[in-house]
Amino acid sequence: MMKQASVVDLFLLLLAIPLLATPAFSDLVLSKVERRIDVTSQIARVTKTLKVVNSGSESVSEFTLTFPKFLGNNLAYLSVSHSEGKGKSKRSLATLSVEEAHPKGMPDSVSFYSVSLPKPLNKGDALTLEVVAAFTNVLQPFPEKISQRDIHLVMLQESAQYLSPYVVESQSLSIKLPNARIESYTKLENTKLQGSEIKYGPYKNLAQYSYAPIVVHFESKAAFAVAEKLVREIEVSHWGNVQVTEHYNLVHRGAQLKGEFSRLEYQDRPNPQGVSAFRHLLARLPPRAHSIYYRDDIGNISTSQMQSDSKKTELLIEPRFPLFGGWKTFFTIGYGLPLSDFLFASEGKRFLDISFGSPMIDLVTEKLIVQVVLPEGSKDISVTTPFAVKQSHEIKYSHLDIAGRPVVVLEKNNVVPDHNQNIQVYYKFSNINLLSEPLMLITGFFVLFITCIVYTRADFSISKSSAAYLAKLQWDEVLATLQEVQNIIHKCLAAHDKLETSLRDLSRTGDIQTCKAARKSTDGLLKDLSKELRPLLASLQSFPSASHISPKVEELVAKEKELQEKLMAKHTTVVEGYEKKSSGRDIENRIASQQQKIIALRQEVEDLLEFIDEI
Amino acid sequence: MAATPIASPIAVAMYPTLSGITLAIGLIVTAFFFIYEATSSRKNRSLGMELSTAAAASLFLGFGSLFLLLASGVYV
Repeated sequence: MMKQASVVDLFLLLLAIPLLATPAFSDLVLSKVERRIDVTSQIARVTKTLKVVNSGSESVSEFTLTFPKFLGNNLAYLSVSHSEGKGKSKRSLATLSVEEAHPKGMPDSVSFYSVSLPKPLNKGDALTLEVVAAFTNVLQPFPEKISQRDIHLVMLQESAQYLSPYVVESQSLSIKLPNARIESYTKLENTKLQGSEIKYGPYKNLAQYSYAPIVVHFESKAAFAVAEKLVREIEVSHWGNVQVTEHYNLVHRGAQLKGEFSRLEYQDRPNPQGVSAFRHLLARLPPRAHSIYYRDDIGNISTSQMQSDSKKTELLIEPRFPLFGGWKTFFTIGYGLPLSDFLFASEGKRFLDISFGSPMIDLVTEKLIVQVVLPEGSKDISVTTPFAVKQSHEIKYSHLDIAGRPVVVLEKNNVVPDHNQNIQVYYKFSNINLLSEPLMLITGFFVLFITCIVYTRADFSISKSSAAYLAKLQWDEVLATLQEVQNIIHKCLAAHDKLETSLRDLSRTGDIQTCKAARKSTDGLLKDLSKELRPLLASLQSFPSASHISPKVEELVAKEKELQEKLMAKHTTVVEGYEKKSSGRDIENRIASQQQKIIALRQEVEDLLEFIDEI
Repeated sequence: MAATPIASPIAVAMYPTLSGITLAIGLIVTAFFFIYEATSSRKNRSLGMELSTAAAASLFLGFGSLFLLLASGVYV
């Protein structure tokens, strides 16, 4: 079908040329044209070196490139640059801007591209242009349906003579074929086959629009892997990660498989049948890619290998089955990249510098959708791309989002690996917006705690006069009183400790006055505390539910009082002893019995306190 | 125009350590809060103490859970 259309096109073209009025193109002359076509992969790459000489009288600032329409429709990538020097000193200067042009009165079977020259070419000047063009779908499988055993033969149609609106003085064409069988090729004059390269030319002094169709039929061992649709999601998180997720819908666009697939023949050694299929796909990811996963709707696909070094990370994946012509598969690849490799700040704005196309080598993408998800709070978003893309905006709701994250969606059709250049996405973001995420979490936890507080404080009882409710209220009060009693007893014990320390100080320093002063202050403190205790004890006695506790509490208070008195007595004895300057041993003997009682009482007090604690 | 690379405000390698520490402190303060709730009687409870403990606990728990999410690969 494709073949018939192109033949008709050629015929029309050959007819149209004599009918053309000489177009009003400038008088540029191409003094030397060298064309190299590389068809070792599924993409036909044409590299042309054109030496342009201005033989007219006016200076020219535009150059027109032409392709036959059946090639022009499949043009995926075109780049023109001008270079200087010859051989080793050749350097490539700036890439020039190319636009599709539709000059009036031109036949429909030719596509025109207009290149703006860097500076106008004056009379007699020469300029060297380098053109790189990549075409998809021009290697037509022929035969179109093959069985599992057949080899994959494809056909290329081109022109041995360079189709151009200018006069060409000398030109040559060389076609580089893969290192495999060459079925047939058109033999014109000056045709040579050297190894796996066919050379046509050099042809001299050709008129404008000269065209000599050639057909090359050869075996291709390249994998005709085409992604019908590739959705590439790039999510930027300022916490340190760029997450790339790629969803592939892959199809084998070579000759279709007819008949059945025999696994036995496919795995037969030494003669496996199934050369037209491909099993592996190689992806070149940026260095320091981490957390790489390869899965599809069924689950994880384990047939993959990864090799990383400081310049790149290579991922070799094998789909669940080999792909023959017409077969499809789908899978997802995801990986994370460190943020500082891709996000930069310049002039108050931040920009993300990341590659546009698929990281797989030699993959043609029919429809590529790149979604760049920027963090919440990004403003003034703009995108810079080295080639034309279709842009749109969306919102995505993800983790801890309030208003959603802005998404820039870039779409492009017919993407080849030559398009895998970097694009820049500019936006404004201040680091304060990063805080909104922990704040949300903190607020969540705080609400939980507030609920707890409200619950313990609120009164959820249904009946406010039932016996159980009243009993509970009373018990709460009993507990409160007990706690206060406990606090006071603790304070008393602290006062006792202070007395003991003063005694120890006395034995160390012999300062009687400070000791007496300490005793006086402690005495006063203890009197105050016992005063506070009395109303509490009274209220405790008034509660019927505390009837089993109040005797214990009274016991505690009584014991504590005893302890108090004994301590005071001991203190007085020791001080008197110091005043009389009697020896240490005397004092010890006098207070020995008292000391024992004190220790016993103290123990009982603490036991009672523990008991109250456990209520 | 010089383009300086932007990195995260906190080193990515610190995320697991930070999450462990902040979560531990947060859980300890939560424990204090609940012990206070359980042992104090209705009359003696002080709202200020409750609210301050709750605020401190939720602050540490919030940051702890954020760092936990980041350390486990969910870059929020």
